[in-house]
Formats: sequence, C-alpha cells, structure tokens
Amino acid sequence: MHKFVSSKSTLAAAALSLCLLARPATCAQSWRIDEANTRIAFKIDAVGFPTTQGSFAHYSGRILIDFDRPAKSFTAFTVDSRSVNVGSPSFSDFVKSAALLNVDRYPTMSFTSTQVEKVDASTAQVTGNLTMLGVSRPLTLTVNVERDPLSKGHAVAFVATGKIARSDFGMLFGIPLIDDTLEITVKTRAVSDE
Amino acid sequence: MNEREAAWPLSLRLLHWVSAGLMVPALGLGVYTVQWVHDPAARFELTQTHKGIGITILALTVVRLCRRGFVRAPEAAAAPWLRLAANAAHAALYLLLLAMPLSGWLMATTTPVRVPTIVLGLFALPYPLAPDLGLYRFARTAHVALAVAFAALILLHIVAAFGHALIWRDQTLRRMWRPSRAVGDAGEAYAAMSGAD
Repeated sequence: MHKFVSSKSTLAAAALSLCLLARPATCAQSWRIDEANTRIAFKIDAVGFPTTQGSFAHYSGRILIDFDRPAKSFTAFTVDSRSVNVGSPSFSDFVKSAALLNVDRYPTMSFTSTQVEKVDASTAQVTGNLTMLGVSRPLTLTVNVERDPLSKGHAVAFVATGKIARSDFGMLFGIPLIDDTLEITVKTRAVSDE
Repeated sequence: MNEREAAWPLSLRLLHWVSAGLMVPALGLGVYTVQWVHDPAARFELTQTHKGIGITILALTVVRLCRRGFVRAPEAAAAPWLRLAANAAHAALYLLLLAMPLSGWLMATTTPVRVPTIVLGLFALPYPLAPDLGLYRFARTAHVALAVAFAALILLHIVAAFGHALIWRDQTLRRMWRPSRAVGDAGEAYAAMSGAD
C-alpha cells in the first residue's frame, strides 16, 4: 500500500486501485476534467525573438480510462482558438489573425485519440488526429500518468507532450525565422466522482 | 520674402523638436527592445510602438523637407568652415531621418515575420515588397548601421548646438527656438524673449 501511494504511482497501480478496489466490474469509465488543474499550452522558438509560450483558456474534453485494457482508453479535446493567450492583448490578437490561427475562419481545433498504448508503468503513448486550420494530421503524444496520492484513486494527473510541424497544417507564417516545429503540452487532471 | 530671418519659421522649429522628441526615443526603444527585452509579448508591443514612431518620423520628415525647400536658412554668423561642416551634418541628418524609417519599412516589408504596422492607430502601412529573407537581412544590417551613425550624428549635433551657444556665443541655437523675426528685430526679439523667461 505504501508503494501504491508513492509519487511515482503507476498505470498498473492505478488499474489495481480502480478495478480491484473501486470499480471491479466495469473499468472503462469517463472521468471529469479538473479545470483548475488543466492547461493547454504551446511553445515555439524563433530566430531573433524570444521563445513564445501561449495557452488556451477555453476548451472542452473527454477522458475515458480503462486501466485494465489501456488500449480501450480514449480522449478528445476541442480548443477554442479565440481563447489563445500569448501574454498581451495585441500579441494575442496577432496570433488570432489570418496569418496564424485564423480564428474567424477556424474557431476551434481538436484532438481525438485513435490509439492508446501503454509504454511503461507511468507512460502511455496516445495517437490521434489533430485538426487545425481545417487540416487533420496524425499526432502522437507521450503521456506521463501520475496518480494523485491524496485522492484515494479518484484523481489522475496527465502531462501530454508532442510536437507538430505547423507547415503540415498550412501555417507557413514566419518560416524559417519562426520555427516550423511547435511543442504542445497538455497538463490535465482527471477526477472520478465515484 | 527674400529677407533673411533671424530664426527658423515656427513650422520648421516645431517639426525639428517633434522629430527630435520622436527620434531619440525611437533609437532608444530599438536598442532597448533588441538588447534587453526577453519577454515575447513585451517585445511584440515595443516593436509595434517602434515601427509606429518610425513611420511618423518619416511622414514628418517629408513634410519638413517640403517646407524647408521654401525657406532660406536664417542668418548664421559662423566661420565658413563651420558653416560647411554644419551644412554637411544637417544634410546627413535629413538623409538619416529618411533612411532610418525607410530601412525599417524595408525590414517590416521583407521579413518572413510580417506583422502589420499601424500608422498613428489609423491604417496599416502598405508592404510593397514580398517577403525575402536575403533582402530582410540586408535591410536589418543597414538599419542597425544607420542607427549607430545617427546616434553619433545626433550627439555631434547636440555638442555643436551647445558649442554655438556657449563657446562661439552666436545665435545658431536660439534661431531654432525663438520666434521668427527680421534680422533688424533680432536683438529686440531676443530681449523680449529673455524678459519673458
């Protein structure tokens, strides 16, 4: 039990908790997204300009976790592109403009998982489709899974990271002075109310 | 009309001081932003402000040169060599007042990171050329080199203005701020202004 609540808790341990202790019969379960602990962020480097980091304030998402059969797990997020924040109103407005996110034409972007693979005790690989600027491309996210030791098995923290080539989505602005590669980090916490 | 004035006309004096009041912050802001601002949002905002100031300077300089074309320089009791040096320095200053914003405009036009420049909050500056990384790098190098030359020339201009006022004790500096009067009234005008001070 001590191992179970250690900070390096694992998918296997979480599965044990859920399937043996909490929900022995049905393991595929929808979890609530804890908004206070969720951040959908990105980072992009440039030549002659500081690294720009931004986040999206508004989104909706679903997380279904099956700890017994991780492959049955599923997630989908839709982000309101207009809620982008890169640190100042006019800079954010520029990021929303047609040159970049083109939010008037494409008000949302979304990710839907197609495959979840357990890599090791605390890591999963989630593959899915990212739709941005009306273009869908496969994206693989590496997800660190950590059970909240204080939640008695009712909360799991995820940190998903991945990289995209924004040119794949037709976002060519600033290349090569602004990197083509954009780093995505989604930190979230899923909570089971049961 | 051809009578020599003791001072520059009000329009040119105003344009001089407004240009000075914009040019020095524009130079300072340019250096400060590039060297010391590492927050991307602040960097973006300051660059936009810098471009806005620059394009205002360009517009003012065009107006100023048009006005200057119709005005004879006021009387200046300076040695011929000094007058020659002053004329050369002033020509260079005018040239830089045009070349600085124009090279900046070229940068803003040719950079792949093309961000609209809003002129006085009214309209977006047209970008006549397509993005071109080679041309952008040339424009940036020119902008920086011109800025260094401009800073040096402004310093020389200020030192010379004080030299005129304190060492040679002539009217050169005063003709850039006191009201325009005919030569005969110069002493009177100066006395009146000193009295007002």
